Amino acid sequence: MKAVSSDTGWFVTAFTACVVVFVLAPIVIVLAMSVSDSELAIFPPSGFSLRWYDAVLSEPDFIKALGLSASIAALATSASLVLGIPASIGLVRYPFPGSRVVQNVLLLPLVFPGLITGLALLKLFALAGSYDAFLNLLLAHVLVTFPYVLRTVTASLVLVDTSLEEAARTLGASQFGVFRHVTLPQIMPGIFAGVIFAFITSFDNFVVSLWLSGAGTVPLPILVFQHLATAFDPSVAAEASVMVAIGALAVVLLEWSVGLRRTAAH
Amino acid sequence: METTADNAVGRTISSRRSVERLGYVFVAPAMILIGGLFFLPVLGLVAYSFATQDGRGGAGLPATLANYSKFFETPLYSSVLMTTLRVSAWTAIASAVIAYPVAIAVVRGGVIASRTITIAIIAPLLVSVVVRTYGWQIILANSPTGVLNWLLLHAGVISSPLRIMYTETAVVVGSVHVFLPLMILPLAGSLGRIPPSFAEAAATLGASAWAVFWRVTFPLSFPGLAAGLSLVFSLTASSFVGPRILGGTDGQMLGTLIEQQVSSAYDWPFASAIAVVLVSTVMILNSIGQRYVTAKPHDKAG
Repeated sequence: MKAVSSDTGWFVTAFTACVVVFVLAPIVIVLAMSVSDSELAIFPPSGFSLRWYDAVLSEPDFIKALGLSASIAALATSASLVLGIPASIGLVRYPFPGSRVVQNVLLLPLVFPGLITGLALLKLFALAGSYDAFLNLLLAHVLVTFPYVLRTVTASLVLVDTSLEEAARTLGASQFGVFRHVTLPQIMPGIFAGVIFAFITSFDNFVVSLWLSGAGTVPLPILVFQHLATAFDPSVAAEASVMVAIGALAVVLLEWSVGLRRTAAH
Repeated sequence: METTADNAVGRTISSRRSVERLGYVFVAPAMILIGGLFFLPVLGLVAYSFATQDGRGGAGLPATLANYSKFFETPLYSSVLMTTLRVSAWTAIASAVIAYPVAIAVVRGGVIASRTITIAIIAPLLVSVVVRTYGWQIILANSPTGVLNWLLLHAGVISSPLRIMYTETAVVVGSVHVFLPLMILPLAGSLGRIPPSFAEAAATLGASAWAVFWRVTFPLSFPGLAAGLSLVFSLTASSFVGPRILGGTDGQMLGTLIEQQVSSAYDWPFASAIAVVLVSTVMILNSIGQRYVTAKPHDKAG
């Protein structure tokens, strides 16, 4: 067995190292381009300069898009929590006939192609006469982020020790008191993971926003996408790098709170 | 006595009912959201795919299958379906081949190695697809200043730059990158459930490392493989950013065709019909994949 494992071990190790390089390469390249002193985003980058960040961060369109994406992500995440935490409690603690089916139905937007969801919503909003791009984007993003909250919160609710809740109830705690002081602290990691996932999903969403962004209401991923076709200097790389930084922050927060591996297992 | 007992029974039943009612109350707002913003518009889209285009950007009765026959009978459009299926199949297969050694490293590696690999694999999932695809645009650029061309030219491997951008190959490369983690995770899950004693037993009985892999590990990892294949296939088939940025006209797929039909041709019924074709294709393939997930090897491994 020893011989077997070291035999495959050599190949597996080398191959895995190559895959890690492959996985990180495009992101590292974007980061490298963003600090290039060259006028064109071509390889190899030359010199070192932060002027593209200077340019990008003083561009009103970029700041506006960044602010829009952040506020939509924050509002959509909050709305998903308000809907998702009670729904999770209903499904796990007060199951009713067909609650399993309902749970799968609520998770459906997760596996349904976002491009089609966005297209269908565009038609719905047009027919309903809803032309407020911000409101439309927000509603769509609630739909997209809600299943993440539902998934992480139900997963952590299932793991809660119900005997602790019963003990608190026996000792005279009210229904809400039990939830506030016994259940909530135990599902906090799940809620936190749900918040991070929901926020970054909304912040990075492209396929739904593609249909719903308006003339003055352009989320950040759409803006970067538009710039890809029009700007050939490293400013696009700087914009993309800002998005990488926000993704990296999400990675650190998830790893620090619940562990990336556990959240991925959900 | 009897009345007390009846009361008690009545109380349990009514309390169970009130508990169920509480469940409905808690779930109702979420159901309204999904019903109103997901089922209603998606069903509307399906209905629209049978509508007749009126030539002024609107559509209505009579109901027709013309949008579907236009799709399947026009070679230009049916070839986009074939490209979509081809690119998705290659992406799923390439991801599986690349994912196996990595999943083995995650499962069999030491604690630190396994943790590092997992983070390196999952972390890119939290970076926007637009950013990652832009990275591939820089790497695969057809000019001598594309990263890959520059490296190969300077190493003397090629004498003139390769043309990878704006081909199906470019879309496959970008899609493998985006969806690889979703192949590695179920595969690692499946491999992790195989007791190491199985491989040890085979090795003790004289099987070579390759024989152990092909005849023990591989068949037992089938549920994870099937889950990963159907996941990567369906996500690639319905992707937009990859084909749009890397594909050009050669790599046009159903997602980009739908966008084009809405944004340039304003043909909503036709776009809806393509969307229905796309979703049906993905759903059929997923249910086939699902059948393999619940197939025999899982029981043996578990």
